[in-house]
Amino acid sequence: MAKHIMCLTVNGDRHEFAVDDTDTLLDVIRNQIGLTGTKRGCTTGSCGVCTINNDRGESILACLTHALEWDGESVITIEGLEANGELDAIQEAFVEFGAVQCGFCTPGVIMSAKALLNKYPNPTEDQINEGMAGVLCRCTGHIKVKEAIRNDFRLRAERLARAE
Amino acid sequence: MLLPEHAYHQPASLAECLDALVTLDVGRSKDDDRLAKVQVIAGGTDVIFNMRLRLFQPENLVSIRRLPELQKIEELADGSVRLGAACRLVDLADNLLIQQRYPALKDAIDAVASSHVRNIGTLGGNVCLETRCWYTNNSAEWRSGREGCFKTDCEQCHVIPSSNICHAINNADSPLALIALNAVLTIQSAQGLRELPIADFYNKDGIAHMALESGELVTHITVPPCDDRSVFLKFTPRKGMDFSLGAVSARCGGAGEQASNVCVVIGSVSSAPIILENAARILEREGLGDAAIDRAVESIRDEMGEVTNLYARATYKKQIAKVLVRRALIALREQ
Repeated sequence: MAKHIMCLTVNGDRHEFAVDDTDTLLDVIRNQIGLTGTKRGCTTGSCGVCTINNDRGESILACLTHALEWDGESVITIEGLEANGELDAIQEAFVEFGAVQCGFCTPGVIMSAKALLNKYPNPTEDQINEGMAGVLCRCTGHIKVKEAIRNDFRLRAERLARAE
Repeated sequence: MLLPEHAYHQPASLAECLDALVTLDVGRSKDDDRLAKVQVIAGGTDVIFNMRLRLFQPENLVSIRRLPELQKIEELADGSVRLGAACRLVDLADNLLIQQRYPALKDAIDAVASSHVRNIGTLGGNVCLETRCWYTNNSAEWRSGREGCFKTDCEQCHVIPSSNICHAINNADSPLALIALNAVLTIQSAQGLRELPIADFYNKDGIAHMALESGELVTHITVPPCDDRSVFLKFTPRKGMDFSLGAVSARCGGAGEQASNVCVVIGSVSSAPIILENAARILEREGLGDAAIDRAVESIRDEMGEVTNLYARATYKKQIAKVLVRRALIALREQ
């Protein structure tokens, strides 16, 4: 099996490494770059725990993307949300509302929520349901997740007020 | 589940890609679809999935994701809209031209899986979506618990044991709207180009379910101008992120109860989308009144060819189909 050199920008850092033809973005992020926040779940696109964001801040499934197809592109993982030692507002909302049970799906859930909020900063109930349809919490903790997402807008506004 | 071994190719242009589809496929058995040596990949949401299940085991993957020729959404001189096969579903659903002119297509695209999948999945990929089955759509280990089938390594079908063809289900959403809207596929190969109405693209063999020869690639989907009303409805066990137990797209000219140029298409009931011709004839003759809709709904029973596969019995699918067709026709009347 041939190895290829590819580069990928993850959370703003450019990485160059050798990959196999058979690697997916999930393999690369976990095994080559060593960021294990992105989880390996069903690997067939059903559970969404491998969700990361592309360079436009949209949710994508790392398990269903061929690594070499993304040569030269840029992605954001759960590790890239915090800035200057401070959690992102959506992460803070998850803490405040206890939107975590066992925690395994949480990176995927947060990255999906982040993508949803990038598209709709103050989403309606339907937009939340639609945007979060691709991720499953096996502990069935979806209600608190939705509460956290509903309150992200308020937390963001409070942060801005504090900053001024 | 790791991916099966293969070589990955990323051609720089469409011409290079069409050549690769021929040169990389040398030595393939013409009669056996299971032995395809080349698989085209765009977003990968269906291809990687099928590779993980060992349903696709190509020697070569050819990526069309970044081919510049396949990315455009263009309005042609005659008012048609030409969509590149590698356009992402999310970009099409967000496109104003599509939202304003083809609401059924917009709704069908929005109905595909989850936003995660639509953010990488492409229209060409949805048009060429692999058929699905309760037996094959499990891991290779799970399947090894019983004998194989036409799709894997045996000459039998677990859906209809007496059948001599595969009865996997075509679960794609966007083709239904595209058929109702009279879309035309541009299919290219190293030998040249042909155009085929998407209505003639599918057939009822679950394996060779597309009229696509070795070396051919669906490059564009052209939707003609349409002033008619159109609608798309899908029934799923869960509200989002699910394949349907039945989906309907319908189109109809005129206003109110008038009905001309009628097309009703139903999907997810068998290996191909089904155009309900009896229903269209009844509606064109009698309009969209309650009595005519009743008769049209009753007429679909003989045309559907529904099979028991993927979580629902044929009898249940028939009931769902009737409800969906009725709702679609009422929605058309009220548009």
